[in-house]
Amino acid sequence: MLEKILPNEIYNILAKKVNFNSVNEIRLRADKPIVLLIGGQRTFLGFNGTTSNLKDAIYPSKIMIEDIIFRASECSIYSVNEQIKRGFIVTQGGIRLGIGGDIVEENNKIKTMTNFSSVNIRLPHEIKNCSLSAFDYLVEENKVYNTLVLSPPGAGKTTFLRDFICQLSERNYAYNVLVLDERGELDIGSHGSIGNFSDKISFAKKAVGFENGIRALSPNIIVTDELGQAEDINAVEYAINCGVTVFASVHCDSIESFLKKPNFEKVISDKLFERYVLLSLRKGPGTLEGIYNENFSRVRL
Amino acid sequence: MKYVFLIFIVFLCTLIGYIFSKKYKIRANFFQSLLYLCQKFDIEINYSRERLKNIFLNLDEKNKSALKGIDNNYIAFIDKEAPLDKENLFKGVNFLKDNEKDLIFTFFKSLGRSDVDSQSKELKNFQSRFEELAGKTNAENKKYGSLSIKLGLICGLMLVVIFI
Repeated sequence: MLEKILPNEIYNILAKKVNFNSVNEIRLRADKPIVLLIGGQRTFLGFNGTTSNLKDAIYPSKIMIEDIIFRASECSIYSVNEQIKRGFIVTQGGIRLGIGGDIVEENNKIKTMTNFSSVNIRLPHEIKNCSLSAFDYLVEENKVYNTLVLSPPGAGKTTFLRDFICQLSERNYAYNVLVLDERGELDIGSHGSIGNFSDKISFAKKAVGFENGIRALSPNIIVTDELGQAEDINAVEYAINCGVTVFASVHCDSIESFLKKPNFEKVISDKLFERYVLLSLRKGPGTLEGIYNENFSRVRL
Repeated sequence: MKYVFLIFIVFLCTLIGYIFSKKYKIRANFFQSLLYLCQKFDIEINYSRERLKNIFLNLDEKNKSALKGIDNNYIAFIDKEAPLDKENLFKGVNFLKDNEKDLIFTFFKSLGRSDVDSQSKELKNFQSRFEELAGKTNAENKKYGSLSIKLGLICGLMLVVIFI
């Protein structure tokens, strides 16, 4: 998919001179050097591959960035305008492009975004068995615990969730899993990416997705990415009260910062989640720092 | 033998007339299909947010053939097989005037570049321009198209008279 989005001159360098599988992010800013995030380390993209020298780096033009966004929308910006209004586009295959530019407002509502000046391309990775070391602590005697995966951005939350869904399926836990894919990142379309017992609702806000999903698809487990808003927490509470197990993630770099996170007071006091998985970038994306129970006592590591 | 030759002369002249008239017909059908395409875009973009490529691919055969390959040339651009310039867009199209090519090129260049509202407004604008051209080429086709065939036939008959 990336070959359809990126200009040939950049794609060819990435394909021939950089190990694609290790690239997590490609950041392009108008008239600024292209930055790659590889295994948690930042480096520039030059004409001969990666470089630490600014002089050798490639500087994309604004037209190039606009063209990347146009191509990512399959040459149909209008079809992804709802996503653009929220600052991103997700392509087939789960490649997410965060967009910087000018927001156009009309009647105090965001109408669209124009004058694109930067784009952050996040490449999804399917890392088989990355959730395996935590699996036995999250599923016991056929019970899947309500689990919240805590990690800073880029540390592998989504990859962990994706693999967990797959592990459930591979172990033949025939739970009906509902994947609420608000940003279209969880299902990257590759074989088995969300398992054999999964339904998917994409691009719906969590409140809507939880309610409709529970009513229409009667799931045993709901998996969703990046909780944050108060309404997300209400949706989680609603699901748990309906007897549905929730497996979710949140941006956070430690248990201490999670305990101070706004909107999560009720989650903590009511012990909505029974397990917390903390990931970090310490030894590269997906480093498992610990698994905690509802009282934030370590159950592993 | 002589009569066969005379019939052949009449047939040949009428055929030449028909070939001349065909150009007018192709132009009229082309602009009619372009207008249809523009209306289709407006509907699809407003209601189903369908991607451009799918709209082109789902065009019916009649309109597809009237567009004389411009749709495929644009799909080649979507598929990143060719850049979007006049040379590539109008490959194999030789019946358009330069100012018409400019307008059509601007139309294709504007496709898919903005949100629904702006795109729809732009389409409405192009729609009215294409309506004008469709009306004009249709009138030309009626006037000069049939005239060419008639002139060809008359020419053939005159030659027959001369030969007799």
